[in-house]
Amino acid sequence: MKKKSMSLDFSVIIPVLVIGLFLIGFLFAPNNPMESNLMTRFQKPSSMYPFGTDQLGRCIFSRILYGGFTTLGIVLGGSMIVFSIGTIIGMATSRAVMKENSFIDGLINAVTAIPPIAYLIVFIGAWGSGAKTTLFALTVSYILRYIKLVRTRTDMEMGKAYVMCAISSGASKLRILTIHILPNLNAQLIRFLCLSCADMILAITAFSFIGLGLGDNVVDWGSMILDARGGLVLHPIMILYPIGAVILSTLCFNILARRLT
Amino acid sequence: MRQDMKKYILKKLIELIFTLFFVTLLSFLLMRLSSVDPATAYAKRMIGSPTTEQIEAIRIQLGFDKPLLVQYGRWVIDLLQFDLGTSLANGHKVWTDIATAFPKTLGIVFLASVFQIVSIIVLSCTAFLSPFKISKNTFQIICLLGVSIPSFYLATVYLDYFAVKKSLISVTGNTSFLSYISPALCIGVFGASFYTPMLMDALEHESKEDYAFYARCRGLSEPRLLFFHFLPRAAVGLIPNFLQSIGLSLANATVIEQIFSIPGFGYLIVNHVLDRDTPMIHAEVFFLALAIALCNITADLIQWVIQRKKEAV
Repeated sequence: MKKKSMSLDFSVIIPVLVIGLFLIGFLFAPNNPMESNLMTRFQKPSSMYPFGTDQLGRCIFSRILYGGFTTLGIVLGGSMIVFSIGTIIGMATSRAVMKENSFIDGLINAVTAIPPIAYLIVFIGAWGSGAKTTLFALTVSYILRYIKLVRTRTDMEMGKAYVMCAISSGASKLRILTIHILPNLNAQLIRFLCLSCADMILAITAFSFIGLGLGDNVVDWGSMILDARGGLVLHPIMILYPIGAVILSTLCFNILARRLT
Repeated sequence: MRQDMKKYILKKLIELIFTLFFVTLLSFLLMRLSSVDPATAYAKRMIGSPTTEQIEAIRIQLGFDKPLLVQYGRWVIDLLQFDLGTSLANGHKVWTDIATAFPKTLGIVFLASVFQIVSIIVLSCTAFLSPFKISKNTFQIICLLGVSIPSFYLATVYLDYFAVKKSLISVTGNTSFLSYISPALCIGVFGASFYTPMLMDALEHESKEDYAFYARCRGLSEPRLLFFHFLPRAAVGLIPNFLQSIGLSLANATVIEQIFSIPGFGYLIVNHVLDRDTPMIHAEVFFLALAIALCNITADLIQWVIQRKKEAV
């Protein structure tokens, strides 16, 4: 019953819809985002170019949609990997499966002491910038935090009465972890993932904005903001489209996270 | 208690060494796996179009031919003697470059934290004392927006408005302490809007405790209750969490500095990443990790002391 009222809630549907549109919107883009045409620079919004064109005559609307696919693709792809691998590793190293192991505890505390954005700096420092580096760095750094969360939460759940009941009725460890504990962790894990998604969007755009971007032939919001800033005095509207997209998608993830508390 | 504390600090210090070891080793490992060879990059910058022999000579001269662990071991031994080598890009001593850049970033982060603390307290107290529910909700929504706006965008808007349109601040040659205020404000917005709802919730929670009821029966006024009873109790719980966020501000500062063209830590990082300046990058990673880890340890220690006090009561 509770689930049903949850799924009908607008504060869940709308953010999910917005994120979904940003993710697959590029399929419906009216123009080629890379095609520059110096004859149509800085055009006003029209039926052909819904948001106008930029300094190279490229369609801003299409670029926003393709940029959404790049940014949200990295973010959501990263979180999917974090969710699937992190849950398995987190549960496998929790006290339910292993005996108390101060080495693993210390190790995890040590590697999560650094915030993900600092890991991103380390990775970019060593590998240079690029879409693959960003995806890899974000996944690695968030997976460490995620594993820590799964471990502590699993340990907390293990002490609860319903787990005792399950154990005494002869359920196997695998069954307890997947069928009994995991559903109880879901809300917290998804909340963590939503908050990390919001952080990731901000980190990706920030780095691409200062020039450590995703590469030259990739369309993304950060580099669009950087481009639009060049012509800010003459065309102040141009910067608002990519910024609006960033704020909107971050806001959606934050609202989703807020809903789950 | 003393004995326990010593033990706890020792444990945390071991963790700190672990952290630094992991992060610096990671930086070495990634550098090795990188598609761009630092020796080739250096040779290209120095000679233009180097021959294979020249690249090999440089590789041996810089020690990049040695196995990874040998390189790492050497770096650690040098580090223990406070020798971080010389930059491959400009020939400066890495130590002096970092010593000039890092304090600037720390200054910005310090100012940002002060700004955050002041605004968190002011905002949440105003929300608490205001009698209307709608104002509390407004604060919540503003904070949600504040967390969603990228701080680098705030920085550009700020700069374009105050520097370009109003000419109130200068964009170049930012080295005085006053010029740290603008980046600090832009960094602080995120933290302020992140922690204000948390403190608001904590205050709300405190005001429903039994002692609050008793105090109200004694006829104490709401502001007195807030400042002498609720705020200290609620704030103590948030301090460890807040200290951890300082590490995050430090990482954020690297981006914001770039926009305000302050020659701080972020400026160093971006420049040397583009130059593939290995000794510099390793040292930057080390110091970033050290600063963040120290903040976290302080946070853990405070949390531990609070926990102890609670248990003792």
